[in-house]
Amino acid sequence: MAGRRRIRWEALSLKLVFGLLAAIALLFLVLPTAVVLLTSLTSSQSLRFPPPGFSLRWYVALLDADQMQRAGLNSLIVAFWTTLLSSICGTAAALAIARSRSPLMRAADLLFMSPLLLPALSFGFAALIFINRLGLSPSVPLLVLGHGIVCVPFVLRTTLASLSQLDASLLEASESLGADRLTTFRRITLPLIGPGIGAGAFLAFMASFDNVPVSLFLADERTEMLPIHLWQQIETNLDVRTAAASGAIVIATLILMLLAERFAGLTRQMH
Amino acid sequence: MTASRSHRVRLDAITHRFGASTAVRDINLDIAGGELVALLGPSGCGKSTLLRIISGFIRQSEGRVLFDDSIADALSPAERGVGIVFQNYALFPHMSVGENVAYGLQAHKWSRERIAKRVAEMLDLVHMGEFAGRKPRELSGGQQQRVALARCLAIDPKVLLLDEPFGALDKNLRLDMQIEVKRLQRQSGITTILVTHDQEEALSMADRIAVMSRGRIEQISTPTGIYDTPQTLFVNEFVGTTNVLRGEFIDGSAVQLEHGVVLPVSPDKIFQQGHAVVVSIRPEQLRFQPAPSDGVFTAIITTVLPLGAQVVYDVALTGGPSLKVAEPRDAEGELREVGATVYLAPASPAACHVFPAS
Repeated sequence: MAGRRRIRWEALSLKLVFGLLAAIALLFLVLPTAVVLLTSLTSSQSLRFPPPGFSLRWYVALLDADQMQRAGLNSLIVAFWTTLLSSICGTAAALAIARSRSPLMRAADLLFMSPLLLPALSFGFAALIFINRLGLSPSVPLLVLGHGIVCVPFVLRTTLASLSQLDASLLEASESLGADRLTTFRRITLPLIGPGIGAGAFLAFMASFDNVPVSLFLADERTEMLPIHLWQQIETNLDVRTAAASGAIVIATLILMLLAERFAGLTRQMH
Repeated sequence: MTASRSHRVRLDAITHRFGASTAVRDINLDIAGGELVALLGPSGCGKSTLLRIISGFIRQSEGRVLFDDSIADALSPAERGVGIVFQNYALFPHMSVGENVAYGLQAHKWSRERIAKRVAEMLDLVHMGEFAGRKPRELSGGQQQRVALARCLAIDPKVLLLDEPFGALDKNLRLDMQIEVKRLQRQSGITTILVTHDQEEALSMADRIAVMSRGRIEQISTPTGIYDTPQTLFVNEFVGTTNVLRGEFIDGSAVQLEHGVVLPVSPDKIFQQGHAVVVSIRPEQLRFQPAPSDGVFTAIITTVLPLGAQVVYDVALTGGPSLKVAEPRDAEGELREVGATVYLAPASPAACHVFPAS
């Protein structure tokens, strides 16, 4: 009896903790997002919550916001190349790390993961000093390189996770049936770890798109990035279009996430 | 199916070490073309390592693997021409049944038309013709195994290697698949090596069985040879059920057992007088006697297990260990009762196998 009662208490406390965590997450993640979405729909001239009335005028105003659009395009271009770069590097690194048991590869794994642990701000600063020492100045390719270093860990983790699920006997079966290594990679390995790479690529894209600390140091005056531009707008003139831009990003992200979940099972790839 | 010529496989003094531990030690095995040989042993005996050496996934530390008298050591699995059915079947989960079977043929650069024809032919062979469009996860274990078999036979391998292929199937299906595989094997005449820890599977399927223990082959023989004349106590205990009694060798024809009975034996090997030995007698080789006499055990029945075709009795020897006795069941006759005193003797001196005590 006593044992059963204790187990019930444990189950109850587990539920309580999870419930509490979920409530906190709702409060601090979903609520602000809702506030931003509501504010962006305001009919008034200023950033105010709650809005006095609703309209889509600020979304319409986005169509004329040249500077903001340029910053958005810059961010998209950098995020695109960053995603490509980190997908290729992350996948290649994951394949090498998964295949090897040497402690050197463990070290390499840690090295690749370190940008996630290190404050991105200090990395951005260090990168700026480094490229200055090399006699280079900030440019889009260097920006992509910097973003890539911060975004590779996402692809590496999800790809490693899907590689650990990959049954080695499938590769042996392919080999024994006469397929060479390239064919085995193309027809067996890649399709089976594809969803893992896709999930990592999605995360990398998002991480690059809203990256501030690296962009702050590595973007030059011509290539203004959207998150930094939005921040400056809020700081200087409380532009309501920033709320509309944030709202547009939230909606686009939601749609992308739903698509990714529908077609690749995004959340399934993350553990 | 094209009748594949039968290929001979020979293992010449194979030893393999993983770091400091020796997985297989000095294995010699000559498998004739068309033969089905089972590697039988408990887990960790080295049978799977040996199969991986034959298939070419690992290179042995010492010795040679020969296919048809030519050394195959440097050849990859595909170059050796081995077809492997893996323990978990290893079907490609993202491909349909038809694509799985076509895979090896595509790797061998067959034309599209020939592949289509061959895939249909192979799937018919294993009675899976209607399932070509299904994904592996939509199939039962037995069906998956049929597909795995069709996939590896499609490329017409020289040697078929089966790694615990029936382990995941339930008992009735296992028997069906064993019969099926044996039929396919006979029909194609393909040399086959079966790795298993299931003695019944080895006994029912193999032409010859190599019983393995701790990296060595203990005995190679036909199923009846393994069962009737085991050469080591390990083989005797691993294959079938047996009663083991400790004793001392008296002379060439008798053993003094620990609890008093002097048992007449006719061993292949003569031990010194007084040498500690164990005597092994299978349950069905013990016979009930009407009365006590020399060389007869006196015992009391403790358990009765009516197993259908036969009855197994668990009996306790007076002042000694317990024995299992199997008796064919007579539909008219009554079962013996628990608590009854019975007298037992081996069917013949040859039924008593004598091994040195370890």
